Amino acid sequence: MCAKGFGIVFGRDSSYTLATMIGLVKDIVARRDLLAMLVARNVKIRYKESVLGFLWTLLGPVFLIAIYAVFMKIIMKFPMPMTVLVSGIFVWQYLAMCLGDSSFAIIGNANLVKKACFPRILLPFSIVLANFVNFVLSLLVMLVYLLFVGPQFREIAWLPLAMLAHLALCTGVSLALSALNVFFRDVQHLTGIFTMAWFFLTPVVYDVSMISSITSKYPILGQLYFLNPMAGILSLYRTALLGSPLPSLNSLAISVGVTVVVFVAGILIFQKLQPGFADEL
Amino acid sequence: MSDIAIQVEGVGKRFRLRSSGGRTLKSMVMDMIHAPGSERDLWALKDINFTVERGSTLGLIGANGAGKSTLLSVLAGTMMPTEGAIKTTGVISSLLELGAGFHPDLTGRENVFLAGAIMGLTRAQMNRRLDAILEFADIGKFIDQPVKHYSSGMYVRLGFAVAVEVDPDILLVDEVLAVGDASFQRKCLRRMSEFREQKKTMLIISHDLGTIQSVSDQILFLDHGRVLGHGDPGKVVGQYETFWRNQASSERSREWGTREVILTGAEFSDEAGHASTKFSWGQPLTVRLGYEVKTPVGRSVFGFGISDEAGRLVHGSNTEIAAVTIPGLSGSGHVVLKIPSLNLARGTYFFSFSVHSADHKVNYHRMDNAFAIGVESDKNFEGICFMPSEWRVG
Repeated sequence: MCAKGFGIVFGRDSSYTLATMIGLVKDIVARRDLLAMLVARNVKIRYKESVLGFLWTLLGPVFLIAIYAVFMKIIMKFPMPMTVLVSGIFVWQYLAMCLGDSSFAIIGNANLVKKACFPRILLPFSIVLANFVNFVLSLLVMLVYLLFVGPQFREIAWLPLAMLAHLALCTGVSLALSALNVFFRDVQHLTGIFTMAWFFLTPVVYDVSMISSITSKYPILGQLYFLNPMAGILSLYRTALLGSPLPSLNSLAISVGVTVVVFVAGILIFQKLQPGFADEL
Repeated sequence: MSDIAIQVEGVGKRFRLRSSGGRTLKSMVMDMIHAPGSERDLWALKDINFTVERGSTLGLIGANGAGKSTLLSVLAGTMMPTEGAIKTTGVISSLLELGAGFHPDLTGRENVFLAGAIMGLTRAQMNRRLDAILEFADIGKFIDQPVKHYSSGMYVRLGFAVAVEVDPDILLVDEVLAVGDASFQRKCLRRMSEFREQKKTMLIISHDLGTIQSVSDQILFLDHGRVLGHGDPGKVVGQYETFWRNQASSERSREWGTREVILTGAEFSDEAGHASTKFSWGQPLTVRLGYEVKTPVGRSVFGFGISDEAGRLVHGSNTEIAAVTIPGLSGSGHVVLKIPSLNLARGTYFFSFSVHSADHKVNYHRMDNAFAIGVESDKNFEGICFMPSEWRVG
């Protein structure tokens, strides 16, 4: 099964067409047991031997929220509701975890890649899914918090779309980073800086409405801003969870469009590079 | 199902060599300048052709770096061949190293399921095999401990248990026999012979020539990515040993002298007079040592020495000690050295020869460790050289 499965995905001269994509999906479905086990492994070992375990998934963002609350809200008197900050950090945390982990998805499993035959895409994908599990759990905690502060969940129907786009974006970025880092270890060093820049380009510690003074003067900047898919995705989350106004459909379409491009490009980059992994490791 | 389990046609695998290890900006620029196929390419495998019939066992032998492991990787599909085609029939075991997929923080049981999933088995299928795996691995309560607390023996036992119980049609085994204690090795060998009875195909890498010769139907001898021998185990192992001995003696050999007389070669032959470099304990050995005289010399002495692999001199003698007078030498000719009974323990030995003046003052030609022979022995004694001895009680 392994050899046959790879025939579709592995072939050096196979053009990465729709058929290849379908083959890939078939491969992943066929190896769903392995995927499930890898996800379980990643969830299990992330907090292995730490006393607080899963609580760290919450404590990380909570500390970040505390820091930003003190500096931006109290010291710098930034007019930002707490719910905006909390939702921003919790949502950002998922992408940040994927960015941090994915560089090591392949090189951290070098022995497995060299010595065992299975669809390599399962390694970064399982990391994205394991982080997604952590994210969903932290999202539940956040929902409890939001129930207390009492916003309305009238627009909650947007949540599935936000989560789906979020997952697709994390998958695309993680696949590309994990594969590229095999050939250029510069990637793992660059991601730190890149993550920082992305963080501030995304309305994590501010709200989209706060930059409206600029975007209303130069509407084109407002559109460009949503080329960052996280801008649209986070706005969607805030609409769903906080009842914030929905960004213009135009902006949303741009963000979702870029997300789809990143997702597909991530898969293509990964599949293009993966036959050379074992040689390089 | 066809009777060919594995068919390898014209397979080659090229690796890119980089001077400084990692990929740097400089090496990338150099890559762009250099055309592909430059001298920095290494062909780990080249022009490999063979077939393995279903139910038979192929042994792979060769020195380190000969390409054995690369060949297994290419067969398992973890590496892509640069050229050529591979056809396999049936489920091929895809875990090339025992315990390769084990994560140190997971328990033995968790790792068994993970390894099974890597090899394409479902949880239910693994559940059915779990008892057999636990029995074979024989690690008791440790199965629920993280594998990082395992001894290396336990680790390997669990790894092998998983690999064999997964029950592939084609089993690829890289150096299993090098690890584990004697009782575990016996267990492995027993399991492998069961495999053969079930008409499963195996590919085995081992440096233990005796074992690989006994378990293989065919042997493939690789050197620097090329096939140097393929076929009958006894024949190919012999070929490999000869090759290895020549290699070893060419590394050790040293020659010097005034070269008024030069030694032109030494032909080793066995009891029946056939040329051979492989002997058994107690057999006679004959060496025909050729010489050529460049400048006629007076009375001379021919000598020989036998050293073991560690470089210790086992025995040495010369024509003077043996009271054989060699008068003045001219022209060319040969002397014959006969050892009526080779009383050496199993191993590789190196012969040195010399010719010098009768007064030992002028060394015409000396060749140290220039010729290697292999000795097989089932004679039971301690040490390198057998000494006839008797015991008497009272």
